[in-house]
Amino acid sequence: MNGKVMVVTSGKGGVGKTTAVANIGCALAVRGKKVALVDADIGLRNLDIVLGLENRIVFDIIHAMEGRCRLRQALIRDKRVQTLFLLPAAQSKDKDAIRPDQMKELTGELASEFDYVILDCPAGIERGFKNAVAGADAAVIITTPEVSAVRDADRIVGLLEAEGIEKPKLVINRLRPDMVRRGDMLDIEDVIDILAIDLVGVVPDDETVITSTNKGEPAVLDGASRAGEAFRRIAARLEGEDVPFLSMEAPGFWGRIKRFLGAAR
Amino acid sequence: MVFDFVSWILGKKDKPRSKDLAKERLKLVLTHDRVDISPQMFEKLRRDLAIACAKYVEIDEAGMNVRFDSQDRTLALVASVPVIGTKRTSYSSKGRGKMG
Repeated sequence: MNGKVMVVTSGKGGVGKTTAVANIGCALAVRGKKVALVDADIGLRNLDIVLGLENRIVFDIIHAMEGRCRLRQALIRDKRVQTLFLLPAAQSKDKDAIRPDQMKELTGELASEFDYVILDCPAGIERGFKNAVAGADAAVIITTPEVSAVRDADRIVGLLEAEGIEKPKLVINRLRPDMVRRGDMLDIEDVIDILAIDLVGVVPDDETVITSTNKGEPAVLDGASRAGEAFRRIAARLEGEDVPFLSMEAPGFWGRIKRFLGAAR
Repeated sequence: MVFDFVSWILGKKDKPRSKDLAKERLKLVLTHDRVDISPQMFEKLRRDLAIACAKYVEIDEAGMNVRFDSQDRTLALVASVPVIGTKRTSYSSKGRGKMG
C-alpha cells in the first residue's frame, strides 16, 4: 500500500487546523480508509485532546523516531472508528527535536501501511512547518474569511510551492452566512479570487465544533452538526467525489425545527 | 435607528461594505508580499525603465506610474509612461532632473 501523505497547514494559528485534521481524518476513516493522524506540533500537543485520546498516550512521535519504541507501539487506535490512528506529538520536547529528513522517513513508513497520513502542522513558517511539510505530497490550507488569515494562507501557498508541493487545496473555515449576507465578511468567491487556489470545502461557524471538542468527539460523528457535514463532504472530495457545496443559507424557522428534531434523535 | 430601518426596508446600501474594503486592502498587500522587492530595488527598476524608454521617445518621467499587479498568482509589471514627443532624443540625466 502506498498512501497519500497530506499536510494540513495555515500559517496563522487559531484558524482550526487541529479541528480540521481530526474531522477530515475521522471522516475518511468512517469511509473505511485506514488513516494515521500525525501531530507535528511538538511541544504543543493538541490533536490528542481534540480526538479524546489524551489518556491513552504511552509513547509519542519522538520515542518512535529515536527508536525507543516501535512505530506501531506509538500509534493509538481510536475506539469509535477502528481504522483511525493517532501518532501523538511529544509534549516535553520542542520543534528542534526532529529534522525534516527524519520526518520524511517516518511519514514514508506510515504511508506504506495507511491510505492516508495526515499531518497537523504547527502555526508559523519556521522549523515546525518545514518538518511537517518535508514528507508531504499534498497540502490542505485552512483559512478563515479574515484579512490576517487569508494573508498568511497566501504566504503558505508560496512556501509550499518552494517545497515542491503544488496545487494545495483550500478549506474556508468558520464562515458566517449572516455576516456574508450583510457584506461584512469576505465571501467564498472573494477568498478564492484572492488566493487563486482550488477550494475543497467551506465549513460554517458552528457551535457544535466547540461542544464536540469539549467531549473529545469529532463533529463528523454527530449527524446533526453542520460543520460535521461540511467536513464529511471535504473527505468525499479528497477521495475524488464530486459533491455539491453545503448551502450556506442560515436555516429559517422550519429549518431550525428540522435541525432540532434531527439533534433530538 | 428609524432611518436605518427605513433604508433597510428600501434596500438602500449607503454604507460601504466592510468586506469590499477587506478585499481591496488584501489584494494590495498580497501583491506586495508576492513581489518581495525592496523599495530601493523598485526605484532602481523604475529608473532603468525610464532610461530605456527615453532612448526611443521623449517621456515625462515625473508622470510615470509603475506598479505590480497580480491575478491568479501570476505577477505583472504595469507601467504607464507619458510620452511628450515621439521624436527620438538622446537621453541624458542633465536637464531632465526629475529622477528619483
